[in-house]
Amino acid sequence: MDIRRVAVLGAGRLGRGIAENAASKGYDVILFSHGAGGKEALARIEKSLDRKLAKWGITDAEKRLILNRIEYTQDLRELSKADLLVEATLDHLDVKYELLRTADQLCRRDVYFLSATSTLKVSDLAKEINRSDMLVGLHFIPPVPDVAVAELVRGVRTSDEAVEVAKAFAARLGKQVVEIEESQGLVNPRALVAMINEAAYLLDEGVCEAKDAELIFRESWGMKQGPLEMADRLGLDLVLNWMEQLQMVFGPRYAPCPLLRRYVRQGRLGVKSRLGFLAYTEDDAVVTEDEGDKED
Amino acid sequence: MNIFVLNCGSSSLKYKLYAMENEKVLAEGKVERIGQDNAVITHQSTGKEKVSKTMPILEHTIAIQECLNLLTHSEHGVLKSVNEIDAVGHRVVHGGESFSDSVLINERTKEILDSLAELAPLHNPANVMGIRAAEKIMPKTPQVAVFDTAFHSTIPPHAHLYAVPYTIYQRYKVRRYGFHGTSHKYVSQRAAELMGRNIEDLKIISCHLGNGASITAIEGGKSIDTSMGFTPLEGLMMGTRSGNIDPGALFYIMRKEDLNLQQIDSMLNKHSGLLGIAGVSDMRDIEKGVEEDDKMCKMAFDMYEYRIRKYIGSYVAAMNGVDAIVFTAGIGENTPALRTRLISKLPYLGITIDEEKNKLRGQDVEISTPDSRVKVFVIPTDEELVIARDTAEIVS
Repeated sequence: MDIRRVAVLGAGRLGRGIAENAASKGYDVILFSHGAGGKEALARIEKSLDRKLAKWGITDAEKRLILNRIEYTQDLRELSKADLLVEATLDHLDVKYELLRTADQLCRRDVYFLSATSTLKVSDLAKEINRSDMLVGLHFIPPVPDVAVAELVRGVRTSDEAVEVAKAFAARLGKQVVEIEESQGLVNPRALVAMINEAAYLLDEGVCEAKDAELIFRESWGMKQGPLEMADRLGLDLVLNWMEQLQMVFGPRYAPCPLLRRYVRQGRLGVKSRLGFLAYTEDDAVVTEDEGDKED
Repeated sequence: MNIFVLNCGSSSLKYKLYAMENEKVLAEGKVERIGQDNAVITHQSTGKEKVSKTMPILEHTIAIQECLNLLTHSEHGVLKSVNEIDAVGHRVVHGGESFSDSVLINERTKEILDSLAELAPLHNPANVMGIRAAEKIMPKTPQVAVFDTAFHSTIPPHAHLYAVPYTIYQRYKVRRYGFHGTSHKYVSQRAAELMGRNIEDLKIISCHLGNGASITAIEGGKSIDTSMGFTPLEGLMMGTRSGNIDPGALFYIMRKEDLNLQQIDSMLNKHSGLLGIAGVSDMRDIEKGVEEDDKMCKMAFDMYEYRIRKYIGSYVAAMNGVDAIVFTAGIGENTPALRTRLISKLPYLGITIDEEKNKLRGQDVEISTPDSRVKVFVIPTDEELVIARDTAEIVS
């Protein structure tokens, strides 16, 4: 089947990233979200494209073309137009099950489903839908348009055809696909949250300030961002959610650092609230002063 | 003999049908927006009304089939059957070191072409897609590939190698390949014809100045140096491409602006050249700006002209003289003011321009005066004709 229109469920950072990436590679995209703030999705994608424009990565004409390919909707019936579905909602089991069941009813029977879940099992998600052989786990890593690798997971019933569809889609998005065994947390999220948690302990114990930890991480391992900035960009609530899910599976080694819980309780969620481990400007850039370190 | 010439891009294609007995164009057309529901086909058979239609065309095979349907259409066409096409000539951008001339396509050729995709990722895959699509529809018709780089295969090593560790050339074949070869070949041969001289006795500098621009030194009918290099980014200032820049400046810019490879690539290819300096990439807008005394348009025009002049000077040195300078392609053919300025700055070559002839458009014209020591021509390029000629020669 010729895939031209891709439905992306979820307009968080991951969903927006997948939508932007797919549109920039020529796909038409239906970006769906229930949630409050979803309406801002297009504006945030435009902001992301503006940053690329400011760095000469795209032209103004390319920006307009990409935006024109993305249609935002809160109407699930729009899914009937899709040739491929990518689920990128938060890893809340009940919400995800419900959404997948609805999508299963609304999408054409020949449409394959990809789930970008980080902490849930594809085999479990597949139980909820009739097309369980057509569901593949394909975990994109934010910022999706810039990260050239994706993790692929087969569920128990996933067919070879479905895997081929997922691989072809990921390849067109410019990703190297690494197939791994089904395991909650995959490779990237598991390693990342462990690193974030340890960095949070460094702050909580007063070993160093956030900006200094970031500098050491970045320069030691050639990283663009250290784990604290990565956490802020993912959203500290999401990181906490991942850790809690992984703690249930793997036990205390994924117990969240108290500082992380405290920040989430305080609404200090990272870039989206302008303050997390670090502080952020309106343009989502890190504030260079030290405000990010100080707890309110 | 009827030759069907195809130039396939990733989402468009252009075609011309030639009767080679008299090199007459029987029909021509293009398909735009391939891959979309609203693709547009425009077709015109010589002497007949132009037709245009919008329809879903999802891939190149369908696009080519539609073109053939129009060529054999009872009202708009010129052929009774597709069998009247004797061969298909394909434009292929990059032939690498494997192809120094046009070639009949077979399985081995296609394998090599696939392996060359890395050298011209924006063009070669689309060209090969066109070849496969045409083969599918016309499996018994011979297909010929004509390469943009082939004409430059005669450039000697001292001019095509870069002064970097030689292992880089050995490992990855990084060297000057040059582009627009089919155009440089056509206009230089045509200039020799217009001069009534054997091209083997001539030193010619051809300036292909379109949105992409390159300049070639042609000695005895052979390219001995050209301004574009491993990629079409080197050399002259272009519409949106920087042309030559100190590689050291790039590292500095990347550090200062925190740019990655994709961003610096895009900056140099899409945000630079005339656009980068003046904010507009079209030479007509630059000329308008110059008339209105716009400072940055004047700067862009000066830079553009100066860089061509430097190349002409260096190629005069490379060939120890020049008999003719040829201008072609959009800017080369349609910007008399640029030619006037350029030539006025080359008095040491003994060139004088006939300003009336310099204003003529759309035809082969010698714009230098009869007593000019170096002849100057404006020759509209015809790459499709060269492709048709090469194809006819190979299949004959």
